[in-house]
Amino acid sequence: MSPYADVAGLDTAANYPLNCWYVVAASDEVGRGLLARTVLGQPVVIYRLRSGQVAALEDRCPHRSLPFSAGTLSDDEVVCGYHGMAFGADGRCLRVPSQENVPYGARARSFQVREEPPLVWIWLGHPATSTLSDPPALPWLADPAWDTFGETMDVDANYLLLHENALDLTHFPHVHPEFSPAPYLSVPPPLEIAVSETSVSYHRDFPPARLVDWQARTTGLPQDRDYAQRESGEFVSPGLHIDRMHILPDGDGERGGSYDKILTRAFTPVNGRSTMVFWQVSRNYLTGQLQISEQLREVHHATLLADKRLLEAIQGRAGSFPAGEEFNVSADVAALRAQRIIEDMLAAERGWHPAPGRAPATASS
Amino acid sequence: MIYREQELDLVVARRETVATDVVALTLGDAAGRALPGWTPGAHIDLVLDDTLTRQYSLCGPLRDRGSFKIAVLRAADGGGGSQYVHVLKEGSQVRVRGPRNHFALIEAPRYVFIAGGIGITPVLPMIESADRRGVPWTLDYGGRQRASMAFLDELARYGDRVRTWPEDEFGLLDLPRILGDPRPDTLVYCCGPEPLLAAVETQCAAWLPGALHTERFTPKPVEPAVGGDTPFELVLQRSGITAAVPADKTVLDVVEENGLSVLSSCRVGTCGTCEQEVVSGEIDHRDSVLTEEDREAGEYMMICVSRCRSERLVLDL
Repeated sequence: MSPYADVAGLDTAANYPLNCWYVVAASDEVGRGLLARTVLGQPVVIYRLRSGQVAALEDRCPHRSLPFSAGTLSDDEVVCGYHGMAFGADGRCLRVPSQENVPYGARARSFQVREEPPLVWIWLGHPATSTLSDPPALPWLADPAWDTFGETMDVDANYLLLHENALDLTHFPHVHPEFSPAPYLSVPPPLEIAVSETSVSYHRDFPPARLVDWQARTTGLPQDRDYAQRESGEFVSPGLHIDRMHILPDGDGERGGSYDKILTRAFTPVNGRSTMVFWQVSRNYLTGQLQISEQLREVHHATLLADKRLLEAIQGRAGSFPAGEEFNVSADVAALRAQRIIEDMLAAERGWHPAPGRAPATASS
Repeated sequence: MIYREQELDLVVARRETVATDVVALTLGDAAGRALPGWTPGAHIDLVLDDTLTRQYSLCGPLRDRGSFKIAVLRAADGGGGSQYVHVLKEGSQVRVRGPRNHFALIEAPRYVFIAGGIGITPVLPMIESADRRGVPWTLDYGGRQRASMAFLDELARYGDRVRTWPEDEFGLLDLPRILGDPRPDTLVYCCGPEPLLAAVETQCAAWLPGALHTERFTPKPVEPAVGGDTPFELVLQRSGITAAVPADKTVLDVVEENGLSVLSSCRVGTCGTCEQEVVSGEIDHRDSVLTEEDREAGEYMMICVSRCRSERLVLDL
């Protein structure tokens, strides 16, 4: 079966687990206004309370369903733009201007959010299940020893296509030849893939080789010397992929330790056809140098944009061919494994639905 | 390309005796790094040496991403593994592979949990999950005697939803009473020694197909093939390889001989690691992991023990 057996039906497929933390916004996108987002097909409105805490409600007034995001934030209350009804961060209706009392049980759905700067995570699954897990720890994003910048990108493709793209390194020299490290273009060393119940990680070690232009430019390392490099990455969850690139100086005093760069990508399904990508690039060298950040931003922006165009073209073919018509090659093993992890999560969430008409032998009341 | 399960060198952070002949070990990363995620029913391998690997269910709190907790019964016939584990001390280093899960907790309106002896371990996180979600459940937990049953203190807080059955006080688990009334909205999860699993399987015959989930750490007895094992042709579709599987070799042997890196661990059909997707072929399932429904569907097989009755087996590998 193809890893994209579902792709043919992606137009409507909700092929994303709900019981998972997803990034809903970057911290600096959330302020004292009402930010509208759609996550997993669910419209939400996100805002910051006076305390600085982030809150999220379903983006719909439970009275007559006008999106809250068309209203205003007044102190810590969301005020609907239709009849002025006010709601607290827990979703409870606090005020109905046309009458003295608030109808019993009037409340909007509220969602668990967790801010781990520079990202804000949301839980749209079973509310109680959120207490059984935490958003993945990404300590480098907030570590002053690392320099981090990021952007948000919308990609009109199913989130599985983004995971597949991130887990497949064999496309790199074909899609991004100008940015490929030199050993990519000759014979790439073998990839080592390691899996667990919930993750797929990989790494490979490149023999010493010359740095390509952008690598030399953004590290300040000379281009007339050879450097070993290590590349690694991980499918952490349906909402997160991490890539690491290490340039390993041979220890003659240029700088202690390796030059580490981490690309953190949160993939958040908007719906079955579109994904928000929150990407962050972190480095532990030449920190505080804005021109280096800008050069790295250019490189990453270009590669992510090329992938975006490619994946949107693939998504454009969704539904135009029967499911299971693609074939797989050996290099697809990491993506296939991630697909399996997601399928297992979906099966657990779909739950126990005995086939109709198959009653037990002695059914109880 | 090398394809394997994640392996970590961890240290025993805590060792406690939790019942007669049962020690609980809490394993953590020496540098305090977070461990891979897992869900209720998951287990890990302890890689004790080159030839000795044993599976243990994770039984600690679900939210704890800093450690793996396991409980090990000292078994006289434990193949050396449990003896080895019992001599581990706090600070000892152990190699861990996984986690993996072939006993996953599927969402359902109601659960019946049945545990025998050390089989309580995977059930503890299942109970935590069901309880947190407010899903009704009961646990019937049998053991030889009260002193040999681990985690009774931990289970006490659940009150009368947990029924303990020390054999020397009450006899064997009253399975006809526990399972005598098949409910279409209920999933049954059972882990324990082979006689208990076999009895539960018999008792669940009247339940809906797919309602019973079991986990074994020793291979389920398999009837040998009539006329002995037969050779067949193996096609590995993704890799473009065709090879013969002689009667005295397993599919896994032949896959490895052809230089493919595939996952495997127990090699006796209990851990589920070597599962592969079947494209075509009439599978002779001999594992202890797949359910009857899985077998009927014929989508997956455990290549360490299962074979093919037809002349040609095609795998998506």
